[in-house]
Amino acid sequence: MNSNTLFIIFSSLLVFCAFMVIVSKHPVFSLLFLVGCFIFSSFLLFLLECEFLALLFIVIYVGAIAVLFLFAIMMLDTKSINLSKNALKYIPIGFVFFIFFLIPLLNLVSDHFNTNFLANSFYFNKYQNWYDMVDSVSDVEVYGHVLYSYFVLHFLIAGFTLLLVLIGVVYLTNNFNKSQILEQSISKQLSRNSSFFFDKFDGK
Amino acid sequence: MTNLMVNNLYNVVSLQSFTVFPEYFITLSIIYILIVITLITYNSNGLMLQKAVSECMALTLFMACYLILNDDLTSASYFMDILSFSNAVIYDSLASFTRFWLCFFSGLYFLFVADSLKEQKLTSFEYLIIILFSVLGLLIMCSSNDLLLTYLAIELSSLALYVLASFKKTSSYSVESGIKYFITGAVSSAFFLLGSSFIYGFTGSINFFDFYRMYNASIYDYVMVQWFPGIGYLPSFFFESWLFSFSFRASYARLIEVYDLTFDDLLFGYTIDYFNFVEIGLTLILFSLFIKLAAAPFHLWSLDVYEGSPTSSTIFFAVITKLSILVVLIRLCHMAFFEIKEWWDFYFLSIGVFSIFVGSFGGLKQRKLKTLLAYSSTSHMGYILIAMGSDTFTGVQMALVYMIIYMISSLCVWSILLFLRLKRKNITTKYNKELGDLALLRKSNIPLSLALSLTMFSIAGIPPLVGFLAKLGVFLPLIINSYYLPALASIVFSVVSTFYYIRLIKVLYFENILVGKLYYPINSEKTIILSVLIFALIFLFCNPTLLYLACYKISLALFVDPVTYSSLPIDYPFNK
Repeated sequence: MNSNTLFIIFSSLLVFCAFMVIVSKHPVFSLLFLVGCFIFSSFLLFLLECEFLALLFIVIYVGAIAVLFLFAIMMLDTKSINLSKNALKYIPIGFVFFIFFLIPLLNLVSDHFNTNFLANSFYFNKYQNWYDMVDSVSDVEVYGHVLYSYFVLHFLIAGFTLLLVLIGVVYLTNNFNKSQILEQSISKQLSRNSSFFFDKFDGK
Repeated sequence: MTNLMVNNLYNVVSLQSFTVFPEYFITLSIIYILIVITLITYNSNGLMLQKAVSECMALTLFMACYLILNDDLTSASYFMDILSFSNAVIYDSLASFTRFWLCFFSGLYFLFVADSLKEQKLTSFEYLIIILFSVLGLLIMCSSNDLLLTYLAIELSSLALYVLASFKKTSSYSVESGIKYFITGAVSSAFFLLGSSFIYGFTGSINFFDFYRMYNASIYDYVMVQWFPGIGYLPSFFFESWLFSFSFRASYARLIEVYDLTFDDLLFGYTIDYFNFVEIGLTLILFSLFIKLAAAPFHLWSLDVYEGSPTSSTIFFAVITKLSILVVLIRLCHMAFFEIKEWWDFYFLSIGVFSIFVGSFGGLKQRKLKTLLAYSSTSHMGYILIAMGSDTFTGVQMALVYMIIYMISSLCVWSILLFLRLKRKNITTKYNKELGDLALLRKSNIPLSLALSLTMFSIAGIPPLVGFLAKLGVFLPLIINSYYLPALASIVFSVVSTFYYIRLIKVLYFENILVGKLYYPINSEKTIILSVLIFALIFLFCNPTLLYLACYKISLALFVDPVTYSSLPIDYPFNK
């Protein structure tokens, strides 16, 4: 009951955000709505008790990819093109594609997700699994147990690979040109007085 | 007191860690060297540390050799396989042998490049540390028994190699070769992952021994599962000797045909129809490993990468990295998926013969020395692949022998290329050499030219040197198993490839020019190592049994089942 209400709220918000990604004119706004999409879909995953996947959604999609997109958009500084004028032209062909994609999708859903036809009847056993409620192990915990017991060596090697990549990237992207490095020399700073500063403005 | 100490040791170090002690040692020394050198160079710029650091790394690797040699598990590994880390790591004779030679040759490599790094302007210490990272990845690859661990080890070593290829940032050739290597490596990783996911999806396991047992299921496995469900497979070696002493290790498919049993669903939960997907996955993994080996249809990256990257990196790519890929191939094909040999030996033979063809004919018109040697290494990989494709013991044995001899001789050739420094002033030094640059070397440096020509004779396969025996050994298992056409074709192509090896000797000795190039002499330390390597080429011809016997033991111990300790599938071609 409670979970269903939350599901309806989050999924309607998700659909709203997805709609706004397309409609909003400024790319930064549409990107913010995309972030909203990711967040609401991760809420939905939380409701389905896939905690690990939900956390991954937030960490990877919101934390890395969306922010990367945001940087790219802000760097590129594209002028917002008015797309809404042409929108009416594309509606018929878009509608055709919509139909073509929707029919197989609905077919698949109706084939593979059969609802229990006794679900609404009196005989349906609506019991609460108290054992799971009290003594449940979350998704993340299970992954942690498996990773640290069976896949210790793999985990360590992955971490070591990251160290290697860190060293390599720092070397390859740094240029050690000494002339470009701005250094702080304390003696120079201490020997400065007001005459240095004002001399420049006097034009000497 | 000692007892107490031993007990405390067991509390600190679990028993399974004994199988990966060399890897632990190298890992800790990488971290230690990284921290120490960072602290040393933090405040002082322009410190030339590369000679000291590379000698330190050579010392590390020779100490790892010592660790491997003095391991008590090594002697045990000839008759039993030790699995650890939830079956991800295997400690058998193949692993200890290849890890020893890998550490040994990379130690020699570090000694060879110690002086030339300054001349190549690769002065930063990260270069050497990244090479040590790559050696660590290759070591883990030698002892991995698991698709996931193999993938991680391949990534650890090859990510280091991409950085090594593009290490000289000022040279656009180096950066280009780094990017090329990265892209081909990414394609290869994608193939590997796709193949692994196919195999995992249809077998439900990533462990090599599970694949082996899947194809070699025999009746007592079924009996054990049915009668003693709690115990599992463990005491079945007892049953093998007592109850089923005739030990029919027929393959899985044959078992169903002959006995018409229906326990396939009970044991594995699927029928034989799915096995095609496993074969496709295996093929994809093989292709990704062939890309890493630079075998012929997948060799195009190697020409540009070897030519473009700095010479000391190229030596590492050409000499050291191939051994571990060979070990992974042996584990996959001659251990895990041996029962579907009809599927994979076609790829080994066809790609091997094609590599020999490309390596022989591609090098004919090549005048750049590094590209020439890249073609040569492609043809060597072809010989190793056809030896593996003959699916016999002797094939594995000869492939290993060929690999060790290839490593010795190519280390000689590449290091001589590295040692030749032009004696000129005020001219921008050309790093990459052409064939004509070696003319009249017999007058300026007699021993070096003698060493180069002896190595070339060995690679070409001229009898008083060990290269002859290596090639002979490759053709032997093919003819044993009646693969006459690949053997004949590769013999013909090897005659063609002799042309450019002999042409190099002709350039060294019989060139009709009066003015040659003058090179700096090389120092005594390198001379000693180089002459020992050249001596090994002659000595192994006189006494090849040293290498043959070690590799023979390894190829016998490959098929020891770690659970039942029974040795072989019954239909194995022993002495055809």
